[in-house]
Amino acid sequence: MRFIHIADVHLGAQPDAGPLYSRQRPRELWDTFEHVIRVCEEERTDLLLIAGDLFHRQPLVRELKEVNYLLSELTHTKVVFIAGNHDYIRADSNYLTFQWSKNVYPLLDEHPQYVDFPELRTAVYGLSYQSREISRPLYDGLKAAGRALFEILLAHGGDDRHIPLDRQALERSGFDYVALGHIHKPQIMSRDHIIYPGALEPIDKNDTGKHGYVKGEITESGVRTQWIPCARREYIHLELAVGSEDTTGSIRKQIKKKINEYGNENIYKIVLKGKRNRDVFLDPGRMTEGENILEIIDRTSPAYDFERLYEENEDTILGRYIGRFRGCREGSVEYQALCEGVEALLGSRQ
Amino acid sequence: MVITELYIRNFGKLSERHFYLRDGVQVISGENEYGKTTLHAFIRAMLFGLERGRGRAAAKDDFSRYEPWDDPGSYAGVMRFTCGGRSFRLERNFARQTKHVSLVCEDDGEELSVEHGDLRMLLGGMTAELFDNTVSIGQLKAEPGQELSDALANYAANYYETGGGEYDLGRALKSLDEKKRTVRRELRGEEEAVGTERKKLLEKSRYLEEEIRHLDAEYKEKERTLSGLDDPERMDARGKSGSVIGGVAAVCAGIALLMWSLWNRAGSGGELSAASVLMALVPVLITVAGILLLAAGCVRKMRSRRNQSAADEERRWELDRIRSEIREKEIRRENIREQYEESGKSDRQLRLEEQCRALDLAAEELQRAAHVTAEGMERSVSRRASGILSAITDGKYRSLETGRERGITVWDGERRIPAGRLSRGTLEQIYFCIRMAAAEILTEEPFPVILDDVFAFYDDKRLGSVLKWLSGQGKQVIIFTCHSREEKLLHSM
Repeated sequence: MRFIHIADVHLGAQPDAGPLYSRQRPRELWDTFEHVIRVCEEERTDLLLIAGDLFHRQPLVRELKEVNYLLSELTHTKVVFIAGNHDYIRADSNYLTFQWSKNVYPLLDEHPQYVDFPELRTAVYGLSYQSREISRPLYDGLKAAGRALFEILLAHGGDDRHIPLDRQALERSGFDYVALGHIHKPQIMSRDHIIYPGALEPIDKNDTGKHGYVKGEITESGVRTQWIPCARREYIHLELAVGSEDTTGSIRKQIKKKINEYGNENIYKIVLKGKRNRDVFLDPGRMTEGENILEIIDRTSPAYDFERLYEENEDTILGRYIGRFRGCREGSVEYQALCEGVEALLGSRQ
Repeated sequence: MVITELYIRNFGKLSERHFYLRDGVQVISGENEYGKTTLHAFIRAMLFGLERGRGRAAAKDDFSRYEPWDDPGSYAGVMRFTCGGRSFRLERNFARQTKHVSLVCEDDGEELSVEHGDLRMLLGGMTAELFDNTVSIGQLKAEPGQELSDALANYAANYYETGGGEYDLGRALKSLDEKKRTVRRELRGEEEAVGTERKKLLEKSRYLEEEIRHLDAEYKEKERTLSGLDDPERMDARGKSGSVIGGVAAVCAGIALLMWSLWNRAGSGGELSAASVLMALVPVLITVAGILLLAAGCVRKMRSRRNQSAADEERRWELDRIRSEIREKEIRRENIREQYEESGKSDRQLRLEEQCRALDLAAEELQRAAHVTAEGMERSVSRRASGILSAITDGKYRSLETGRERGITVWDGERRIPAGRLSRGTLEQIYFCIRMAAAEILTEEPFPVILDDVFAFYDDKRLGSVLKWLSGQGKQVIIFTCHSREEKLLHSM
């Protein structure tokens, strides 16, 4: 039995994708979803498992129709999905009334249900969110009931407010494969057994790294899985070390070089770190030349040798001022205040 | 430290000049334009170097002011001095191309390194800024429009608060404040941008609300016409059933009449008369008419029923469509509301807020540091300055007090006199006292005192006292003046 496991597609989301791609980004989420469906069709995958948050918010009928059409085109693949915390089953949810194509099996109940596929000797279990948050560990006591040779759990959650998961309980639950969703970063909780494929496409600017889906096969001899990257873009956080020789212009050049290296199809957040020359003013607004950068954050501090300044100026206001910030952590508000004050004092010299 | 010789190759208006100095008090006098200020600047440049300013500031800085026009390569000089019992020769070339500095101990010929701080060690903690604020004394200057006594009070307060006057607390606080204003402005811009996004969501939601209201009204209207149509239909139905009832009545009447005529015929003995035939025909006709009427009524009723159900279905379908459209829009509105609630402060907003907090904290801590510094300074410098003031005024003023709020006051043994009521000469003397006191306290090595046209407002008596006091300090004192009375007074001492 061969399956593809996706999660957190977030159709309908409008992610901030930088100056170049934000407009087309909602469309790209659909494109990648379609890409996965195409893969299912081409490879004649038996099961497509969607582990929650197919939609970013409550789905509209026209969106469901769109999805249903795409899924109904699958000539071989059967689809099982649950609703997650984003597209949870509200009393007026369109999920409840929508007529799905016959190869699509929603598990929309708040209690665990299962679908049996005798021809695949497989049963898929799952439940759906009925509210935005569930803090009870609903999956902890769940056991595979032995209704089919291969049993799969489709589950969504894993943090305190969204069905906390106990890895060991899941490991002992008897399911051959636990298809997880909710955490956007791909992550293997138990090899070939309990897996977050991660969001299909990164949705938030903190969803860094590559994104994709899990392709797997369950046979009598066990489960084999493979993670396949397929996201069109990637959020990349770059840290740039700024030295005393750097200026706005030199940093612009470094940024350009880095982005050429990583590709401008990606979405960048750049953090400048290190010690800049005391006399240099860095202007993040002038550091880009049409690259797709979400933001540039200047976390540099002027290259003061506070220890030396303190020792040399112990009796003056400068030394006493530095002394008041003894032991503050670099990057903290206090450290910022220290730099600002020292800069102001040194600048006030006649 | 004692400066023994100055050789100027080329510096401002002075070129190829030697000055020989000795320990103790000495006067270098000359008329205006003689070059006293240039010589003063030369000493400073030899001790601390000449940093070139950047940008526009460069046009007015000391480097440009004293750079020789004709032969910039000879922008150089030598200073000989003794320090800690050893003699040194300090040579500097200030020129852009040939900038160079060397320091040699003349006793053993050892080359010292200015870059590595050997000169700084000899100067014993004296920096260019401290030099400007202590031993290098000019006349007290006020900002335009400022009372001299206020200028002195500010000077003294800043002097104490910053620990030597090297820094300007007021200016530092002002620059922090200006920066904060800039950050605030950026923050407001960002808040507006975020606000606009949120406003757009609100507008969208309101627009949907409006559409839902319209659809609701449309739905109600359609529903009403549906039930309103029911009445004429019922009327229509009654008309239709009227013909059915008429038909039934006619059929019944016809049959009754027929029965009656048959009964009559049987009663009359079965004769077939024209009258009896007629009597039989009428009920038959009535019956036939009734049947026709009944049939027509049934057909009409069936037909209208069929029409009605088609129209009903159409209307019901229309109502369904409106209802699902309303639902769809309601979900969209809910989704937008959700998005609105999720949209909070942007990261940039948070960062700018943090920067504001850091700037606030910096200003607060700067004031606290100033307070602590002032406490320490005031104790030591004020006491010493009071001593000097008492000495140079022959005990007329015994103590000196300074503070930001009350300004400067002097104690004459009976009253506290605010500085605003003191003469220009006395203000100059207080200024002198504070600087001399600070020079003693802030520097490890006794440093040459340079007095540049300081005594213009002193009367002869007080000038005599100051000179006497200075000669008793065991320091090298260099007095630049355009008058001859300092020299005369020194000779007479």
